[in-house]
Amino acid sequence: MKLIIGGTAQGKLEYVLLKYDVQKNMVWDGVLPNDRKLNKNIVVINHFHQWVKSRMVSGGCPEDEIMSFLDCNEDCIIICDEIGNGIVPIDPFEREYRERTGRILVQLAMRAEEVERIICGIGQKIK
Amino acid sequence: MMVLVVGGSGSGKSSYAEKVTVSLAQESVKEITKSENTSLSDFKLNIPKKYYLATMQVFDDEGRKKVDRHRKLRNGKGFFTIEQPVRISSALEKMEDGDRAVLLECISNLTANEMFSEKKTMTEIQVTENVIRDIKMLKEQTNHLVVVSNNVFEDGITYDETTTKYIRAMGKINQKLAALADRVVEVVAGIPVTLK
Repeated sequence: MKLIIGGTAQGKLEYVLLKYDVQKNMVWDGVLPNDRKLNKNIVVINHFHQWVKSRMVSGGCPEDEIMSFLDCNEDCIIICDEIGNGIVPIDPFEREYRERTGRILVQLAMRAEEVERIICGIGQKIK
Repeated sequence: MMVLVVGGSGSGKSSYAEKVTVSLAQESVKEITKSENTSLSDFKLNIPKKYYLATMQVFDDEGRKKVDRHRKLRNGKGFFTIEQPVRISSALEKMEDGDRAVLLECISNLTANEMFSEKKTMTEIQVTENVIRDIKMLKEQTNHLVVVSNNVFEDGITYDETTTKYIRAMGKINQKLAALADRVVEVVAGIPVTLK
């Protein structure tokens, strides 16, 4: 698995499409594919933070769900916004959302074979 | 050695800062044993004592959970905890003589506590001066100082005047801390990225 992180609007998706020669219509946007076994193409998940939020809203457990997804799709590319670099929100849900997204990213980064941080469209390999 | 560790919420900066403090404390033990042919009793005396300076004021259940989580992380690593929400240099009075490795967590709480007391609100210049003066004292009187601070600067939100002042104070303090530090590390998704 490859993890791509960075601030919003930094060109993360474009970077991935170009680097890995993926068509935009193959990208999963804020959702995980239902079909657990997708061997044919590279699975790209964009806006991963939105998926985390939606699972939290539905009362799911994004921490476990993403790990079991990865057990079946070890070769995917996950793109996620960095959302923790701000003033801690007053709203408890928003606070929890940032904290949990951050911790999930730590877990994903540990599992990833490569982690890149995108700034101004430029990839900085940090693992 | 002074190390500044910065990162966002949930970035893994605390756990990284702990590792750094523990390994700095261990390194100094090795240095001592290497440089001098000390006997075992001397060797024991020279082991730096590890202190954890906690700045968070606990008001509710969420705060208690956060403290519990951090306590669990530190468990078994031999830290002596000092609760010091303001005037961080007075923690020195609670430390034993001898070698010290100190982990201070974190500047964002400390700055908020100093700035917004019940009596009055401090200006950004005042709070910056106070925090930096205190940290200089800590640095002078410890062998190793690891300071954790937050990146609160990148959410693109325009806040009210008070919060803006706080953000500006945090920015100034971080810059001054980075200048004082021998090493500056940003933790991104648990990965340390060296800035200095």
